[in-house]
Amino acid sequence: MKLKKCSKHAFNMVLHSKLRSWLTITGIVIGVAAVIAIVSIGDGMQQTLNAQLNTLGGDIVTISPGAERGGGMFGMRGGGGGGGSSGPQATTKEIVLGRSDLQALKGLSDIALIDTNIRGSVNISYFGKTGKVSVTGVDQKVWSQITTSTIQTGRTLDSADQNVIVIGGNLASSYFDQPIGINKMVTINSAAFRVVGILDDQTTSVYMPIQMAYQVIPDKTTDIYDTLVVKIKDQNQLDASISNIQDKLMISRHVTQNKMDFSVTSRKEMQQARAATMNSMSTFLLAIAAVSLIVGSIGIANTMFTSVLEKTKEIGIMKAIGARNQDILLIFLFNAAFIGLVGGILGIILGTMLSGFMPALMGGLPMARGTAIVTLNSITMALSVSVSVGILAGIIPAYQASKLKPVDALRYE
Amino acid sequence: MMETIMELQDVWKIYRMGEVEVPALKGISVKIKKGDFVAIIGASGSGKSTMMNLIGCLDIPSRGNIYLKSQDISSLGESDLASFRGRTIGFIFQQYNLIQSMSAFENVMLPLEFLEYNDQKAATRTREILTLVGLGDKMHHRPTQLSGGQQQRVSIARSLVSDPEIILADEPTGALDSVTGREVLDMLRRLWEEQGKTIIMVTHDLNLAKYAHTRIELKDGEILKISENNEVNKK
Ligand SMILES: Nc1ncnc2c1ncn2[C@@H]1O[C@H](COP(=O)(O)OP(=O)(O)O)[C@@H](O)[C@H]1O
Ligand SMILES: [Mg+2]
Repeated sequence: MKLKKCSKHAFNMVLHSKLRSWLTITGIVIGVAAVIAIVSIGDGMQQTLNAQLNTLGGDIVTISPGAERGGGMFGMRGGGGGGGSSGPQATTKEIVLGRSDLQALKGLSDIALIDTNIRGSVNISYFGKTGKVSVTGVDQKVWSQITTSTIQTGRTLDSADQNVIVIGGNLASSYFDQPIGINKMVTINSAAFRVVGILDDQTTSVYMPIQMAYQVIPDKTTDIYDTLVVKIKDQNQLDASISNIQDKLMISRHVTQNKMDFSVTSRKEMQQARAATMNSMSTFLLAIAAVSLIVGSIGIANTMFTSVLEKTKEIGIMKAIGARNQDILLIFLFNAAFIGLVGGILGIILGTMLSGFMPALMGGLPMARGTAIVTLNSITMALSVSVSVGILAGIIPAYQASKLKPVDALRYE
Repeated sequence: MMETIMELQDVWKIYRMGEVEVPALKGISVKIKKGDFVAIIGASGSGKSTMMNLIGCLDIPSRGNIYLKSQDISSLGESDLASFRGRTIGFIFQQYNLIQSMSAFENVMLPLEFLEYNDQKAATRTREILTLVGLGDKMHHRPTQLSGGQQQRVSIARSLVSDPEIILADEPTGALDSVTGREVLDMLRRLWEEQGKTIIMVTHDLNLAKYAHTRIELKDGEILKISENNEVNKK
């Protein structure tokens, strides 16, 4: 029998198969869905990650008060001086970054620039409407050289600035009913500010000179900083520079390595942490995929064995009217491959839906902002995996079917 | 004058059931002439079906040789035997043995697909043969949508489609009422008379055996008697 005919008969067998045999493809469906999800989420994150790595900021180091938090797994920073509980010290003194730390860092030759930041939540009003946004007070003399944000319209902050702000793209365009333009006045905690620049991003952040921020953000003390953002001179010496910074601060703050009451993190470290998380997630999904595919192939094999048993009589008839062993073998192999293919197609549909949801599910985590990308590549891969699994699972039952003796098969009821 | 199309030489078939050996055929030797209408008769358990399976190359003898068109079938591999069987022998079974998920048309065309006919030729031939057995208007019915007699006619059409020289029928009327049974036998008879097929029919019904020209009587796995009925002759 020609290959085309074998596949036609196999396809008809699939069409006529019972619901029970459809249920056994669930394993394949889940396996393929997991494969699709891994590949597409992986691709998506890889792109985001590459984009991040390519933006400036590889030479930026952030110093925060409080002990290091588990290597910054999800890149989350403690917002303000909330370090009182960390470490075993029995001190009641709040752990903060202050003027002495700034002075200590200024003595380091590794460092090109230091920006002092404080951050807080404020009320912002514009044309009678009010909202709550996060304000960052920055050292306007260096901020423009340290930030990775770029200006879309207007200008950045400069040293003579007082009551002026630079705002995020979303705050300008869509936060209030009316868009905020350059030179418009907004009220922040009852002080008036003029907008001089709009950032090329999708945030609602507000940047202002730190001296003004001390006045508008409640509960802030002059010369106490939430973070120090440092630009180092040589990006290739990043690790050395980080340890120099740590050493210097440990001395000036009179702490030892074990009781370090501050953390120094680089953008690069955060990105590596994200990559590591991504890897462990891929491994997890890969494990799910592998297990599902194994379960799926057992399911297909089981279906096939049952199907060979059910079709024993038909196999006998076919052999009596001229079917060769190889014809029967091929029909059953094609049948298994088709089951795999159907499982694969359903898996791709499920996987595509899943990878669409995934970024949303992990939306809270900055690392998951990657958009999942379902490529032709991953579809081809998933289909070849599922069809191969089907064929592998079908080999033994198909061989068994082909070896049935016509007399025995015909007598089977 | 008539050549031998099939020969059994001292054929034994012994079934093994655990420790016990059941000899179903005990040294059968018989020649079947080309173009003959043969009835194999005997009581139930006398070995008719066993002999049928051997003649149809569906099984191999425990001892002895079977020659089909001078070819020793034990010398053929499984695949060659299958193709040889497909080309040379058409089977008609008591229980019709149609494939339930296929239409009459697909069932009849199946042997041609195994013989790798081209689609066009196979379809034309299938239509022709279904029309011949009087099912031209029921070609796309499933077996479940056909009566017993109609199903047996589909089965006859399937046995004829590849134009084999031998038609083997195991109790072809066993599941039919006497009227439709007679129709089926008339059809076999026409094949014998008009198309020169060799017909080998297994039956336990002596009334049906009257249709055949040669009768082989089996008893306990041995040939009791071979007789020719000279009242039955080709016209
Ligand atoms: N597959 C088998 N295994 C064991 N014994 C069998 C088998 N087939 C047939 N027999 C035995 O062989 C003898 C002949 O059977 P069979 O050829 O079916 O007779 P018939 O068709 O004339 O009724 C019987 O005794 C039967 O029990
Ligand atoms: Mg019998």
